[in-house]
Amino acid sequence: MTSRRATDVKEVRAAVTVPDLAASATEHPGAYSYFPGCSLTSSAGEYDVSVRLVTAALGIKLDEIPDWNCCGASPAPHHWSGNLGVLLSARNLHIAGYHHDTMVAPCAGCYNRLKNAQYELAGSEELREQTARVLREPVRYEIEILNVVELFDREVTPEMLSERAGGRLAGLNLATYYGCLMTRPAKIMNFDNARNPVSMKPLLKATGADSGHFPFKSECCGSYMGMPKKEIVLRASRRIIEVADDMGFDAIVTACPLCHQNLDLRQDQINKTFGTSLEMPILYFSQVLGLALGMSADDLGIDSHVVSARKLLQKIEQRRERV
Amino acid sequence: MTIHVSRTLTEAAEVVADIERRSGERVSTCYQCGRCTSTCTGTFAFDYPPHRIMRMLQLGQVDEVLNSRTIQLCFDCMTCSTRCPMNIDVANVIENAKMVADEQGVKGSEKEIRFFRLAFLQNVRRSGRLHEARLLTSFNLLNFKPFNDISLVPVILRRKKVHIVPPKIKNRGEIHRIFQEVNGGGKTK
Repeated sequence: MTSRRATDVKEVRAAVTVPDLAASATEHPGAYSYFPGCSLTSSAGEYDVSVRLVTAALGIKLDEIPDWNCCGASPAPHHWSGNLGVLLSARNLHIAGYHHDTMVAPCAGCYNRLKNAQYELAGSEELREQTARVLREPVRYEIEILNVVELFDREVTPEMLSERAGGRLAGLNLATYYGCLMTRPAKIMNFDNARNPVSMKPLLKATGADSGHFPFKSECCGSYMGMPKKEIVLRASRRIIEVADDMGFDAIVTACPLCHQNLDLRQDQINKTFGTSLEMPILYFSQVLGLALGMSADDLGIDSHVVSARKLLQKIEQRRERV
Repeated sequence: MTIHVSRTLTEAAEVVADIERRSGERVSTCYQCGRCTSTCTGTFAFDYPPHRIMRMLQLGQVDEVLNSRTIQLCFDCMTCSTRCPMNIDVANVIENAKMVADEQGVKGSEKEIRFFRLAFLQNVRRSGRLHEARLLTSFNLLNFKPFNDISLVPVILRRKKVHIVPPKIKNRGEIHRIFQEVNGGGKTK
């Protein structure tokens, strides 16, 4: 299978981002600081592209945080000193806070780390002093942090989206999959309901698609164990895909690049290991919104997923021809 | 069943107190309802399910806990913490038990996870951002399994899911200072 991409990733990034950040702070008073994170610059490039395209189409301005660094992901907080994860994320909060009052982190892992760091910093004078020592400046950590679901929820009402989507995705049944990191731990994330998250639903419904209850929506996919303990991830992720498949969903919608990696990139390994024949497309939340707005699957990077979304796209196409 | 006599009861109680202090949780409040275990995604891979870890800490069986596969393999998905009727952040207790194990030099059986974390942090330390391709290579080398996940390489390359040139941030000095701070700054928490 050859993958052809109509829009080059670099072109989209160049067209949509505003590189001069010092100037942009005054140019875009309503803009958000944008923290892509490492995954979105490589394995989840299509997530980045789709977020930038959809936000641009909706008139939301994103300014990429200059010289951002890795949030520390899961290995840093497990470092014995306990503070490595906070310090790495604190540097990003500090830079982001220089330009805007609100930042967006589409990667659920980064979102989780940044909010954790903020929580820890707010609660410990000692930690703030340690951070200031490293940054050689008093740390700015009070910036508001949003994930993409929150961002779209804030900027777009279901009515607005529904009007622009014109029921484009009607007939599709999408499983909403939140995973762990966006909502847990509840007291720190303070987003949605940690036991029964529902925040994706209003906007998905506005696209015209159905999104019935998916009982595995907050079940863990196996997280970062993919590389060190592949067999564990394959088993954990298989259950999620299989349940979605049994329930007749057309695709699983996620907002986490790590979940995406485990469910999409490793789906073939799951099939080989367990003799299953799963073919469940895994889409990013932003890609679904993009499809609803009439953007092409290629532009949104859906062709770069390992599991083909052909059937789902055909359904959309058939419906368009009928109307 | 093996009986560990390497620590006195007082020493064991101190380790439990340390885990409680770091996590801010009180293990004694657990009444063993087992809800954490019934919702846990990872039990199939563990030697002790989460409610047993809690019980073992209550009983001061710290060697078993610190050497368990559970504390190494926990996904940290925090489902248990969300479900606990006593509001104990079980995942946080497990995570802090792992940090204590690390600090005490308990290597545990899961060397792959140790290698993964090491490779990951080295990678970030060097350039400020993660280079996924280099992470896979250095992890495989540490782990002596050079062809692990090799089947993914053509897929990744074809879909442009990888940087050829490793990304580097400008202010690497600051990243260096962060690592120096936590490694050289003493065991303060």
